[in-house]
Amino acid sequence: MSGCDAMAQEKKAGLLRRTSSSKKPLKEKVVLMYDEIFTKDDPAKTNPRFWDELFLMKVNLEYLEGKLESLDGDEVMVVKDNINSLFHHCVLALEEEHQIKVVNALQTLCALFRGVHQKNKSATGFDIINMLVGFDKAELRMKDLMESLDSLLCGDGSESLKSLCLKLLLCLVTVTDNISQNTILEYVMINSIFEAILQIVSDVSSRGQHGYDAVVLLALLVNYRKYESVNPYIVKLSIVDDEPTLDGLGMVVHQALTEYNRQYKNKEEENHGGFFSTLTSMVGNMFIADTEEKLSVQTNEAILLALYEAVHLNRNFITVLAQSHPEIEMTAAPVTPIPTTPTSLGTTPPSLDMMHNPELPLDPNLQTSNLLITFLKYSSIVMQDTKDEHRLNSARLCLIILTCIAEDQYADAFLHDDNMNFRVNLHRMPMRHRKKAADKTIPSRPLVCAVLDLMVEFIVTHMMKEFPMDLYMRCVQIIHKLICYQKKCRIRLHYTWRELWSALINLLKFLLSNETTLLAKHNIFQLALQVVSLFNMFITYGDTFLPTPSSYDELYYEIVRMHQVFDNLYCMVLRVSTNVGQWKEPASKVTYALVNVRAIINHFNPKIESYAAVNHISQLSEDQVLEVVRSNYDTLTLKLQDGLDQFERYSEQPKETAFFKELVRSISVNVRKNVSLNTLSQDVLLKEFSSIS
Amino acid sequence: VITNYEKNCYVGLGNTIEIALHKCFGLSTSSPPLDVISEGVGELSLVIDTEVAKKACQEVLQKVKLLKGEGQSTLVTTKPGLVNGTGHIGSSDRDSRRLCTSQKIGEEEAPSDTVKSARRRQNNNSSKQSWLLRLFESKLFDISMAISYLYNSKEPGVQAYIGNRLFSFRYEDVDFYLPQLLNMYIHMDEDVGDAIKPYVVHRCRQSINFSLQCAWLLGAYSSDMHISTQRHSRGTKLRKVILSDELKPAGQRARREALQPPPPCHHGQGMGEHGLSPSKRTHQRSKSDATVTISLSSNLKRTASNPKVESSQDEVSTSVIAGPVRLTPQREFIKSLMGIGKRLATLPTKEQKTQRLISELSLLNHKLPARVWLPTAAFDHHVVRVPHTQAVVLNSKDKAPYLIYVEVLDCENFETSSVPVRIPETRIRSTRSVENLPDCGITPDQRASSFSTVPNYDNDDEAWSVDDIGELQVELPEIHTNSCDNISQFSVDSITSQESKEPIFIAAGDIRRRLSEQLAHTPTTFKKDPEDPSAVALKEPWQEKVRRIREASPYGHLPNWRLLSVIVKCGDDLRQELLAFQVLKQLQSIWEQERVPLWIKPYKILVISSDSGMIEPVVNAVSIHQVKKQSQLSLLDYFLQEHGNYTTEAFLTAQRNFVQSCAGYCLICYLLQVKDRHNGNILLDSEGHIIHIDFGFILSSSPRNLGFETSAFKLTNEFVDVMGGQDGDMFNYYKMLMLQGLIAARKHMEKVIQIVEIMQQGSQLPCFHGSSTIRNLKERFHMSLTEEQLQVLVEQMVDGSMRSITTKLYDGFQYLTNGIM
Repeated sequence: MSGCDAMAQEKKAGLLRRTSSSKKPLKEKVVLMYDEIFTKDDPAKTNPRFWDELFLMKVNLEYLEGKLESLDGDEVMVVKDNINSLFHHCVLALEEEHQIKVVNALQTLCALFRGVHQKNKSATGFDIINMLVGFDKAELRMKDLMESLDSLLCGDGSESLKSLCLKLLLCLVTVTDNISQNTILEYVMINSIFEAILQIVSDVSSRGQHGYDAVVLLALLVNYRKYESVNPYIVKLSIVDDEPTLDGLGMVVHQALTEYNRQYKNKEEENHGGFFSTLTSMVGNMFIADTEEKLSVQTNEAILLALYEAVHLNRNFITVLAQSHPEIEMTAAPVTPIPTTPTSLGTTPPSLDMMHNPELPLDPNLQTSNLLITFLKYSSIVMQDTKDEHRLNSARLCLIILTCIAEDQYADAFLHDDNMNFRVNLHRMPMRHRKKAADKTIPSRPLVCAVLDLMVEFIVTHMMKEFPMDLYMRCVQIIHKLICYQKKCRIRLHYTWRELWSALINLLKFLLSNETTLLAKHNIFQLALQVVSLFNMFITYGDTFLPTPSSYDELYYEIVRMHQVFDNLYCMVLRVSTNVGQWKEPASKVTYALVNVRAIINHFNPKIESYAAVNHISQLSEDQVLEVVRSNYDTLTLKLQDGLDQFERYSEQPKETAFFKELVRSISVNVRKNVSLNTLSQDVLLKEFSSIS
Repeated sequence: VITNYEKNCYVGLGNTIEIALHKCFGLSTSSPPLDVISEGVGELSLVIDTEVAKKACQEVLQKVKLLKGEGQSTLVTTKPGLVNGTGHIGSSDRDSRRLCTSQKIGEEEAPSDTVKSARRRQNNNSSKQSWLLRLFESKLFDISMAISYLYNSKEPGVQAYIGNRLFSFRYEDVDFYLPQLLNMYIHMDEDVGDAIKPYVVHRCRQSINFSLQCAWLLGAYSSDMHISTQRHSRGTKLRKVILSDELKPAGQRARREALQPPPPCHHGQGMGEHGLSPSKRTHQRSKSDATVTISLSSNLKRTASNPKVESSQDEVSTSVIAGPVRLTPQREFIKSLMGIGKRLATLPTKEQKTQRLISELSLLNHKLPARVWLPTAAFDHHVVRVPHTQAVVLNSKDKAPYLIYVEVLDCENFETSSVPVRIPETRIRSTRSVENLPDCGITPDQRASSFSTVPNYDNDDEAWSVDDIGELQVELPEIHTNSCDNISQFSVDSITSQESKEPIFIAAGDIRRRLSEQLAHTPTTFKKDPEDPSAVALKEPWQEKVRRIREASPYGHLPNWRLLSVIVKCGDDLRQELLAFQVLKQLQSIWEQERVPLWIKPYKILVISSDSGMIEPVVNAVSIHQVKKQSQLSLLDYFLQEHGNYTTEAFLTAQRNFVQSCAGYCLICYLLQVKDRHNGNILLDSEGHIIHIDFGFILSSSPRNLGFETSAFKLTNEFVDVMGGQDGDMFNYYKMLMLQGLIAARKHMEKVIQIVEIMQQGSQLPCFHGSSTIRNLKERFHMSLTEEQLQVLVEQMVDGSMRSITTKLYDGFQYLTNGIM
């Protein structure tokens, strides 16, 4: 009912507006001037001060955009010169001292870009450029525009003005769904604003106010024709080596992810607090699905993309991941400006004070955090639920970023640094069969433990019908890469490997029991091979990275204990590999990889049985089994597998191109939505400038 | 030409004769007044013979009387004669240097002042020339004597002369007495101050390091004054002058003025807030990087059209011209280190402190390399990096002292040598992916054949492809590359096997065995303890640590790379520590000179203010508390574990080291009355020496006045056990060393007393509490006892200390209150 009312009101309002605009005497002056532009004649002919006056008027974006959209083909050709002229004067006005004019010019440009694109969705980029700027002058005009924007962004001018510049750029970058089809961006490539973006990000105060927009803009620009041509933003981003700048970039990402984590936590507490929690505990876990629904805070792929690009493109950025900052989430103000809300001008993240303050705050309760920890927490949240497409994308991107991190030598070095211990509270999915671990008990450990925990957590929580095969592959590969590093550098991590082993065995079990349904969609042998290879790593190279001799015994214990799973897997792959078909080869690879596991099972099982028989015990205790294992190593021969410590290096092309294209598209749409809402509200801005002028 | 000023000096000298003579005679009757021992003049008696001195003085007096009538001008002309007569200070270059310094002084000091004092001196001119002058000009006259006369003499002429004479000593020698000089400058009368100032000013002009040391010491030793007097005190004024950087080298100042005063924000390498404007650095950097890229790939011509690139060129050139503000970088560096300490103190747990420390230091790293250095180091260098993850918070109840390791590049002169270029952290790693590293002996070819799955690289791949430095810096743990049955062998085999297709078999038992063997082989390290994070870090052998950090450092490949460490103390007054250091250092050189094989380890102290400073850590040493807690062994058993069995040479050496250091520190503890001797304050180094640290309670102060620790020094049964028991030879050796040490120290008592006595001036330090500090200190040297009596004394002290229940009680007390074993 109320919905109907609202609609009716809206209609009424619309009608009112239309009537008012049709009545000539009630028209705003600016609208009249717009009308003049949309005629054949040059408006400056009748009024030489036309353009001067225009930029003194408050912009009516709606009207201007609407006007542009409503033009039909022939009309366009008629008014093209005037539109070109409007564009030209907008660019000229940017250099005005009068700030009101600059503001109005920026907004008019926004409307121009959007209106023209809205009108010509199917048109080629060149047509759009022609209509907006005019072919012959395009290069010069766009150069002037970019230079003006650049100097506005880098100058000492008003912060609101800078914000508006970034909005305009975001608007320009996202006018098309597919960023690579936005031909105008070619000029943004030629006239790079990369340095301006970096400057915003590196300066403490400007980072606080515009960092978020700047970083999103950068992430988008990097993705312009990424695979087709040389994008200068990619090249430049890859060679930045100035720490304060990179650190600034990291801070913006950190801030945004922290904000997300905080919002999530708040919602979680809301849902678990009060009578609701008592209710849930009363009726059991019936509402779990419901709760999850409520907990979905909108994910922020744009910022994640920026993180990815930084990690992937810039080798120096890796150091920023480990750059500690005190935990921001605890002190953050409960404002929610990400993504852009219509009420505030900037997309400014909260807790500005934190960013303004170069000295770290002195709260003794703060735990030192860093970008990597925040990112891991964020990942643990988005990975919980991968049903929604945004979250699936986010989870995938998280895993891709982790892949890049796991491959990086420097990152591995600090992940495994024994002197850098942290407590990382990962979010765990509430599940029927386990209790939520008390957060306080988490020990302080090297960061790699948190990464491994996250991977284990993912493995045990996603065995479902909609099997996220590619995420599983990435997950297991990340573990593999970390272990390769440990093997190479002889790092003996004190980690409870047993949890990993049992998670992996359970995964194999799941694959086996859902063989038919899964095989219809995925090559499960690939995943099985990865898992078995991990076991082979432990079996044949365990001496190089396991923390204690007894952990090696435990590995054998676990394999022997779960021998049924391996037996079944062997039967299955043997069956498939003897049949002719597409799975023949991948299955036979698994058969081969299982050699050692089967050797262990076949070696120890009889020994254990005879031990039980000799000692008249029906059920051996763990210690007894371990004892049998320890005393029977010498008669067991293993076979060395090839290339266990080799892995395929991550490469965006060609495997991930489709994913990134789609991701950038969805980000573009999202950003456009938020920007359009934002730029329309200019009250704050005008208030500010009316007081200036 | 001899300036007026200098003339006055010499004329003034005459005034001192009476006092000097009196002093000379007075002193000669009691104790050795002047420790004029010096190499090459061994046959000279220690005590200046009264008769000889008298004679010399009379001769001088005669001469002066004769000359008197001829007036001032003749006096001037006779002066060279006098100098020649003593057969000293002949060298003209030094004379001329003194000349020009005094000229300079003349310029700087208010001339009226000199005139005034000159007149005053002339007025009571007794026209007597002094044997003192001969002493001053003689070879025997060393810095210690100079300081002593400066302190004891009431005669402005003598003081002024010595002030001048300071210029002729070696810098290192004077530097040792810098705290004394400055304390006199602050707290003694105007004449002493006037005498000292020219030298200090001269040295400040020459060295940034000296300037800062002076400024810090002046601040610290002025702090006990009442705030109102302090503000206008001479010390505060001089400190201000130094810190305002007015005392630049004269030449530089002139050059600077000739140039346009450079805008302060352009000093490129500075630590100051302007120096670090990140955007500017960005532009500089990306500019240079961009140019490289442009030259590499023609695709990127676009970049050149960027107006930013061109504009940044001007910035580069300006920053080259403008030199860095002289003192700022170092001051900022020290300030940030202290700031970290202050912030750490607010955090409740060691874990949080450690994390914060690491994160703060990594931020500090962004500002390095810079023209900054560790004042505790003995050589010129620039700090290039702080390996932040290696830093540890030290055990302290309420303060947060911490230890950092600092990578430096040694250089000719830190003021003039250029600051090293920054190398990014990640530069050390040659590639982004593990697989590209030469791993376990696989040649690239082999890898290529075995691993062909690498798909097309990203188009931006060249941006980070291969790095020459990285290629050289492959990090493979050295220990593991030697053995042939190593698993790496299998990797190679596994590759070749692919071609031959012959399977390789390994015994599971071998894998298991290797695992236990490798774990057994790791040397005795301490376990990680979150409550005692420093134990592990300090236990690691220094050389090992250096190697490890060097391997991981982007600067490690440079030949002049060095690792230093320093303890940053914030909230602690290190003035007593500095005093103790000086006394220890003095005793060390006395014992060395007298060939007594006592071993002590004075560690350098840098006083920055009355509540902050830095300490040079003793390397390869952990506290006895840590030893006992971690090893759970008695001290003797720990020695056996670390060094080998009783009869091994290693054990015997360690035992001898232990005894020599014990004897040394027992004497120190006795003489200085060092208290608060629990096992957390006694270190044990890897060679078996003990080292006492923390001289917070010395002389007249003791902790909480609980009446504990009444024994002369700490000597527990455990210590005696390590020495081989009470009846062993080593124990006798220990007592003999103490006796010899005491005799030697007694012989040079004045040199020790002097250090302490001067520092007592104007001091509120607890170690000077009461009026009898110096008297008591003197008494502990037992000048009146015969050597036999001394021997009895030593026996008594040792017995007393061993039987002392209070020592045990104190250890128990410490265990209860601080958990120190």
